[in-house]
Amino acid sequence: MKVTDLVVAASIVALALLLSYAMFLGGIGPVPVRSELRTLALNYILLTYNPAKIIYSALAPEGVTAIVWDYRGLDTYFETAVMFLAIISVVALTHGCKVRIGLGKGGMSLIVKTTTRILMPLIVLAGVSITMHGWLTPGGGFQGGATIAVATVLALVTYSIDTLAKHGIRKKILLAMRSTGLIGIALTAVALLIIGLAVGVNAYIFQNQERMGSPLAFPAYFSGTPTGGSLLFYNLFEAFAVSAGLSLAIIVTSLREEEVKETLRGEGVE
Amino acid sequence: MSELIIPYLLTVVFVSFVINLVIALYGIFARPTLVKKIIALTIFSDSLNSLAIFVGYRVVSGRVPAPPVVVNYTSPQGPAQLAKVTVDPLPQALVLTAIVIGLAVTLFMVKVTMQVHRIYGTTSVRKLERIEHGNKGEEDEGVVE
Repeated sequence: MKVTDLVVAASIVALALLLSYAMFLGGIGPVPVRSELRTLALNYILLTYNPAKIIYSALAPEGVTAIVWDYRGLDTYFETAVMFLAIISVVALTHGCKVRIGLGKGGMSLIVKTTTRILMPLIVLAGVSITMHGWLTPGGGFQGGATIAVATVLALVTYSIDTLAKHGIRKKILLAMRSTGLIGIALTAVALLIIGLAVGVNAYIFQNQERMGSPLAFPAYFSGTPTGGSLLFYNLFEAFAVSAGLSLAIIVTSLREEEVKETLRGEGVE
Repeated sequence: MSELIIPYLLTVVFVSFVINLVIALYGIFARPTLVKKIIALTIFSDSLNSLAIFVGYRVVSGRVPAPPVVVNYTSPQGPAQLAKVTVDPLPQALVLTAIVIGLAVTLFMVKVTMQVHRIYGTTSVRKLERIEHGNKGEEDEGVVE
């Protein structure tokens, strides 16, 4: 260990202690012990499911999904685009690498494989359930999609990348699924706008229920149960995009050394 | 008694988040290996996410705070009843997207690190810098930064 390391470590400990002491004395504002909701949060809670004030409401009982896909929908759209870009970059880094069948050693033992075979449908089912209740209980497209991607990771570790490719979980298919999800989100965002243009009434981007000056709305109930209008579609497409995108990124990250090095040599890099 | 204990415990949680952030910053700046930088960065983002959730926390006397879900949505008083016991939904909504994007960006960084290791045979930024300058690394120790 060098002197510089020691100095850095000591200064960081000193900074942490100083900050903690300052906080303990109330030096950088009071520690947030709240017993009341903020006004903004109160508005969200009171309006998220409120048929009496429908022009401010998302008609979804779950506040978080209503904020994510209705009140701050444009934010979430661009955040999804950031995820899209990150995954595109991961894929671009291994451009040209092909999965060669027959390299794998066949995966883990029979016990692990059997357990995985039982578990995988249950994980996918849990993901779909989380997605499809996103506007009623905590959950939604992001969480459901990430849960479904866990099934791919499990299969990848237990079996091999060969087995996944044999069963049709390939780069191109996953890319297509992910793009379908994103196009679905974009279409849902402008659906009412297109209908509004066709019918000749006002409409907004990311409109869910009736808004001021626009009578158009997504259907808010399905056989008596609230669907959150557009939140249903956003959650479905988001789960599609997230599960396919994360699976794709993980598959591309776990390409074998032989395959990647071959491509690197082919492009003239040492 | 509880009105003394609850602020104390919350202060402990808050301070430990800050300490966690500082340690993660140390890992990002001072550790030379890219892998450790990535680990420290995930610790940093997770601490920040937990801090955001903590900012949305709220003490409800006599019970545990409820999640922001209108369970009793058929009655007109449902949202107003919920507002008495629920936590702030906005930080949760922001953290939700941050986690998924964080996962994708972490995968990207891992992939870049793997490529760096394949091409240069090391992930230490100090050694990489020396390779960059054409020095074969005769002075392994002592030459830092």
